[in-house]
Amino acid sequence: MRPKRNLFNTESIDKIRKKGEKWQRQVYPTEKQRQEVFETLSGIPIEPIYSPTHLAEMDYLRDLGFPGEEPFVRGVHPTMYRGRTWTHRQLAGFGPPEETNKRYKFLLKQGATGINGVFDYPTLRGYDSTDPEAYADVGRGGVAIDTVEDMRILFDGIPLDHVSSSLVTCQPIGNISVQSMYFANAQAQEIPFSELRGTSQNDFLMETAVAIAPEVFPPRASFKFSCDAIEYCTKHVPRWNPVSFAGYNYREAGCTAVQEVAFVLANAMACSEELIKRGLEVDRFAPRLSFFFSGHSDFFEEIAKYRAARRIWYRMMKERFGAKDPRSLALRFHVQTAGFALTAQQPLNNIARAAYHALVLGGAQSVHIDAYDEALCTPTELSSLTALRTQQILQLETRVTHTIDPLGGSYFIESLTNQLEEKIVALLNEIEAMGGIVKSVEKGWIHKEISSAAYECQKAIESGEMPIVGVNCYKIEDEKLPVELFRVPETLEVQRAKLEKIKKERNSTNVQKALDTILHCCEKDGNLMEVVVEAVKAHVTEGEVTKMLKRFYGTWNPPLF
Amino acid sequence: MERRTVKKGIRVLLARLGLDAHWRGSIVVAHALRDAGMEVIYIGNQMPKEIVETAIQEDVDIIGLSSLSGNHMILAPEVVKILREKGMRETPVVLGGTVPPDDIPRLKEAGIAGIFGPGSSLKEIIQFISALGKK
Repeated sequence: MRPKRNLFNTESIDKIRKKGEKWQRQVYPTEKQRQEVFETLSGIPIEPIYSPTHLAEMDYLRDLGFPGEEPFVRGVHPTMYRGRTWTHRQLAGFGPPEETNKRYKFLLKQGATGINGVFDYPTLRGYDSTDPEAYADVGRGGVAIDTVEDMRILFDGIPLDHVSSSLVTCQPIGNISVQSMYFANAQAQEIPFSELRGTSQNDFLMETAVAIAPEVFPPRASFKFSCDAIEYCTKHVPRWNPVSFAGYNYREAGCTAVQEVAFVLANAMACSEELIKRGLEVDRFAPRLSFFFSGHSDFFEEIAKYRAARRIWYRMMKERFGAKDPRSLALRFHVQTAGFALTAQQPLNNIARAAYHALVLGGAQSVHIDAYDEALCTPTELSSLTALRTQQILQLETRVTHTIDPLGGSYFIESLTNQLEEKIVALLNEIEAMGGIVKSVEKGWIHKEISSAAYECQKAIESGEMPIVGVNCYKIEDEKLPVELFRVPETLEVQRAKLEKIKKERNSTNVQKALDTILHCCEKDGNLMEVVVEAVKAHVTEGEVTKMLKRFYGTWNPPLF
Repeated sequence: MERRTVKKGIRVLLARLGLDAHWRGSIVVAHALRDAGMEVIYIGNQMPKEIVETAIQEDVDIIGLSSLSGNHMILAPEVVKILREKGMRETPVVLGGTVPPDDIPRLKEAGIAGIFGPGSSLKEIIQFISALGKK
């Protein structure tokens, strides 16, 4: 190992430190501070000024380096936005697939550079639209998918070998069927798996900790489904990102920035260990592990968060897993602006809010900007378009893309990056000492952590300590809503008609055979994706797959409160 | 019923409607009600029939529903309807979540006693439920 090379020489640092201390003693206190404490959203104290003294221990080449090179703090690609800008990936999905297909095409026509498909609540959780528990949620929050035929309709007229698709299949149980349908549909169109580009969310914490409900799959089973999909894609669909560790959603549920990164990295670490146990080389699967972060309201902390995450991931992959491929060492991520930060009050303010949240100074690979009406309803065509235009303005007009990691070297940003790293690593160690992320879910520890953080945050909003314009300050009484609200089109009957037709026409012997094969696969602990892809080709429905898996794995009641 | 002879705090049943995946609102309200001295029975996602069954079993004073998925217009009135059919005429039902202002009159008509949209404060929710519980 080469000796450490500090950024500044000791003599300079001493002089700056002395002068800084004098300034803080004699000059700064001459005026009163407007509040006693200044801190980041996750509670890191913020000092009045940062200087080289905060970075005295840094070694530039070891800790920052250059873009596209170790430790990837300044960016994962050599050219970053001077080469290719981030993907404009606007979420879309509502009603039956016939309707969402039109919205996809509209966004692509307006310049979106990728699809970000969100699914309705029954689909996410593995239910058919006609399930007795589903009727009130069909088509809500996303598009309804029951069979491979729905997937065909959803992507009708969209070239699967040219457009990259992100499938927001957050829960592994929904993912296993929906992703299988995407692949089966591509195969039916004779598009080779090697041409498919995209991402599925597939995060077991989404099933067992964040979007919790009674009678979900046990954490071990959900974790297995997630790893099955990763293993399957590693072997058969090499350009697909089979997981997008969903820190964004942990944050929406209540996490701080520190918890968000620690929990995703603990999750990614557990998946990596499992895949290695299954006999895969780290450099075969790690290049396709991807991450999903929130773009929240603390501007600098968020930028530092992404940079810290890249450094921790690099060190973890290199030191712990012995990865060598630069693509394994570089953490790639999608950002969505924080839905939690949006307000239903004075909703047009959300346009400004989301634009601040999206400022891509942290080096994201793809971005979704929330629509201004998302605290009220599913986005309308106008609000979706405004969000997409916000991306385009950011990219084309602001020139923030012209140099790489423009805030790198800021005494504040570097110091915050270091502090976040320290806190995230400490939390990661705590999870590891507990036996890892799956254990921490089984014990209910993670649920408590998230719900306490959410409660603390709400208390800070109520006390006014965390100002939210339009909610706890600058309110308008009896406000008239200035926006038109979106209404979900009729979905249940559309889906019911298709399901009935398919069930009548499909070959029931093949269906039974496919379901039996799934059960056998469970019994011998095989890779479930291998058999579910075949099952959906026989028009087995999502709900039928789920029921079969529940029969084998049973259900789990997470600690609710 | 005997265990209720000495009445302690107000007993509140909190449930998320249907398959809605949003968690934060209901869990934060659960914390706040408990801190305000109420007994909170949090059952996560349930359908109207199960919600009412639990409400009867647990002999609660109030039912709180959470919905951010847009399913509230279908499921919240169903809870009230089944509740009344089962003879619980007095038990109030309140709803929190993303409820567009246009929906409020129809929900009130359907018997929802209080509606708390996005941006509602815990303080007003606690006050409202305390007042209902004391009746």
